[in-house]
Amino acid sequence: MRKIDDIFPNIGFIPALIIVVVLAIALELSGAWITMLIAGVFGGLFTRRTSRAFLAGFLGVGLAWGVLFLYLSLTAQAMAIANMFIGLLGLHGIGWLVIAISTLIGALLGGFGGLLGRSLVELIDEVSNKPSSQTTQA
Amino acid sequence: MRYVKKIIKLGLSLVGPFTMIVILTMPIGPLAGGLGILQPIGGIFDVGRSINEPRTQAVSLPGLTADVTVLVDQWGIPHIYGATVHDAMMALGYLHAKDRLFQMVMQNYLASGRISEIVGGYASSSDKFYRTIGLERAAQRTLDWYVANAANPDVAYALDGIDAEVAGVNAFINSMTSTTTPFEFKILGFNPQQWTRLDIFIWAKMMAWGLSGGIYDLYRQWVRSTIGNDTMYDELFPDVMPFEVPIVPEQTNLSIVTYPNAPGGFKASSYPAGSVAQKAAEEAMIPLEKLQALMDELKAVFAPLGQDEILGSNNWVVGSSKSATGEPILANDPHLGYQAPSLWYEAQIVVPGQLNVMGVTLPGLPAVLLGHNDHIAWGFTNVGADVLDIFVEQLNPANTSQYMYNGHYRPLNVYDEIIHTKEGVDIPFEVKESVHGPLIDSAIDTYGLDTESAPNIAMNWTGYGITHEVMSAGILNRAVNLTGYYNALYWWDSPPQNIVYADDAGHIAITCAGRYPIRSGYTGEYPVTALNDSIGMVSNIPYAYIPRSVDPTQGYLQSANQRSIDPSQYGFQLLGPFDDGYRGRRIDYLLNHTASVSVDDMKRFQADSLEVSAQQIVPYVVSAWDSVGDGNATVNGVVDQLRTWNYVMDVDIWTPTLWMHLKDAIHYETLDELRSIDPDLPLSRTPVLEKLIKENNTYYFDDHTTAGKNETRDEILVKALHRALDEMVQQYGSDTSKWIYGELHRVYIDHLAGFTYIGGGPQRGQTTLNAAGGWRVTHGPSWRMVADLSNIQQSYGVYPGGQSGNMFSPHWDDLFKLWYAFNQTTQQYGYHLMYFYPTAAAFQAADTGGTMIETTITFVH
Repeated sequence: MRKIDDIFPNIGFIPALIIVVVLAIALELSGAWITMLIAGVFGGLFTRRTSRAFLAGFLGVGLAWGVLFLYLSLTAQAMAIANMFIGLLGLHGIGWLVIAISTLIGALLGGFGGLLGRSLVELIDEVSNKPSSQTTQA
Repeated sequence: MRYVKKIIKLGLSLVGPFTMIVILTMPIGPLAGGLGILQPIGGIFDVGRSINEPRTQAVSLPGLTADVTVLVDQWGIPHIYGATVHDAMMALGYLHAKDRLFQMVMQNYLASGRISEIVGGYASSSDKFYRTIGLERAAQRTLDWYVANAANPDVAYALDGIDAEVAGVNAFINSMTSTTTPFEFKILGFNPQQWTRLDIFIWAKMMAWGLSGGIYDLYRQWVRSTIGNDTMYDELFPDVMPFEVPIVPEQTNLSIVTYPNAPGGFKASSYPAGSVAQKAAEEAMIPLEKLQALMDELKAVFAPLGQDEILGSNNWVVGSSKSATGEPILANDPHLGYQAPSLWYEAQIVVPGQLNVMGVTLPGLPAVLLGHNDHIAWGFTNVGADVLDIFVEQLNPANTSQYMYNGHYRPLNVYDEIIHTKEGVDIPFEVKESVHGPLIDSAIDTYGLDTESAPNIAMNWTGYGITHEVMSAGILNRAVNLTGYYNALYWWDSPPQNIVYADDAGHIAITCAGRYPIRSGYTGEYPVTALNDSIGMVSNIPYAYIPRSVDPTQGYLQSANQRSIDPSQYGFQLLGPFDDGYRGRRIDYLLNHTASVSVDDMKRFQADSLEVSAQQIVPYVVSAWDSVGDGNATVNGVVDQLRTWNYVMDVDIWTPTLWMHLKDAIHYETLDELRSIDPDLPLSRTPVLEKLIKENNTYYFDDHTTAGKNETRDEILVKALHRALDEMVQQYGSDTSKWIYGELHRVYIDHLAGFTYIGGGPQRGQTTLNAAGGWRVTHGPSWRMVADLSNIQQSYGVYPGGQSGNMFSPHWDDLFKLWYAFNQTTQQYGYHLMYFYPTAAAFQAADTGGTMIETTITFVH
């Protein structure tokens, strides 16, 4: 059986990052934050080292949400909404912090997705690789 | 073993995602929706996208008989053009929900005692109170009456409108997406339930409660008992305020044959004799401690729309003879507690051949409450009549679930209520009810303060029964002449309202519309114990004879919550409290002294901020200083400001601030007789003080706390002046720039859930026509309208807020900005022209510049 790592080649960090950004934007349009884990998983699919998988997911989703927030700030009053939200917590004039926290949340989802993806791939490949490896040796 | 490392790694990599899922879904403080709502799409940021609506929209609305065209104007005001009333009201319901769903839900949950379900168990005391007074029970009774009387065409019309409104609201709820879900629901993690017929009546009952509920019986008893001197009580707390100009200058009765009943179809008695003269029931004395406890607990919940002393309104109309246009001009500005979103939602509803009405609706109610149609205009002010009596039930000592009535103990009705909280806790609660009404001490444990061990204080409120205001509004919307106006108000029973009228045939009228009980065996002023049915609200004043004036010789009519009619000219008793009367005196003066009143004059009058109480009293203070003042140079300077003051409560001077302190100081220095008894006693009302000053009442001006010395009026007024200045220096410092009225007197319109506010700027006025009571102005003209019957298309309106309940929409506060902008040159506030076109095509044709119509919505059937 082919390894997952054989199906999804190590394309390097930057291309993996771009894939995560594009996927994260597309999936976030569904309005379900949990899908950012899936976007992050793709960071783990296209990289090989755990730290890179995390970074691809973290930066990829973080960038995606940053782009979305930029767009929403320009077209849909995202900063005013953020200011209102932080005001409910008794803080004023630091709406940017809400957007920063939100972006961080997205990034962490992506990063943890990347970690999960990488770990899953490694385990599955390990399990699926065992019989094929014995056959090869025989 | 070789997989163990990988499995452990996978396990560890799951920790992060699980932690994130917990953090993002867990309620944190007020953020019941969890931090997940902070994502860019699908969370709170979606509300910003919802304001970018396309200029042309098609919305499917199942249940319509034909397409409905809605032209939303530049202020976000919908002009609804439907083929049938049902279709138009369905579109209105949808738009109400689209723009105001959070408000509608909050208001109704509050009124029905369910607010704990939204905000949590800390609000359960409010829920207990509203469940006790039973607005939902009253709404259900009223709905049942409508259903049972659906054969009446006017009832059927009302029910049809209600069903259409409900269908429209539910169509919006069912179509809600993350983008259209109100911001507040996302924060609170709340999903609205389906709207019902009952919801329509619940909010109608809440409005009635806000305008006619009150604990005056308890208040009067507490004041009188505390004073312990009936002569002093009668002098300082009269039911009729001195110098008042009553609303009705000449009473116009209608035919008792045509209108035999009381408003709302209730039983009427055509003669007042014996109604109040006999006093079979003695006042039931509630211990002072219990009275105080009851009032403390109840005063907040008894004023959901604003405290009584600042809850009021103005309306007036000039007839053809006094109008610059030769046809009537009508003005109305109801003063209610400000809230964001506003109580009001403006709309035009057009159904060819049946209805063309424009004005403000209450979100959730299928009618224009204040406004005009193509033939008539109308406006409301609150009557302020006491239509709520307190009965102290005599409980069975052996069984406190029974009370004495008509010679034997009968059981109290018991309603088992369960308050559900947001936290998932159920709080059981029991409401008891006698023949007189619900026992209000069910909600407040005060019965340990007297000999009773169980609730026994019943509230008999006319609004607790079946009421017909929704039906009446439906008839009024379609009225085209005086007869239609009479027929509409025949059903207006609760809350009592002064409804001013003008039509394009040149007629003007005002009716103090409502059901006024005729009381037997008691006066209604104080709590009583009624052991049988000979004591109570036994009948009502006939509609034909309620205070009303039509086309009076003076050529104008006005009301500002003052006494409806001169008691010496009217056989029936109307129990107050009524307003101090200063606004009524002012508008009467202005209308009386303006030969030819224009639309611009009407706008100027609505902005009028001259303080009549100051105009009447300040000259006495100046004269007192000149007579007995000590010549202090600082005080001389202050008095010089008073000398030249025009009595306008303007924001850029400090004389209004001085007047605020001076008025309180005069009350304080004059009425030592009250404050020496109990510092919590109110120091009478300002018209009474004005009378004492004008009549130079030597008894009250003598300070009885100074033995062996008789103070004069002038000495007391000078003392008050010193007191006021001392207070101001202590409070603001001696730099008079800190005394500027506009620095201290500012308007705030708080969001319903306290998320934000509109305003914050300096505000003119006080207890003036332009009402702005207190220092932090939270009540006042909730709607200003001037309707020109010579050309109804040239009518103006504005309210402090905006059409949209979305606080990020430009229509959140655009009308407030207009309402707030005062033009020094014209001495007017801003208004918008109330676009009023009979067809969508006519409106579109008139919009030659493309600025009048913002959005076109087609509701597709």
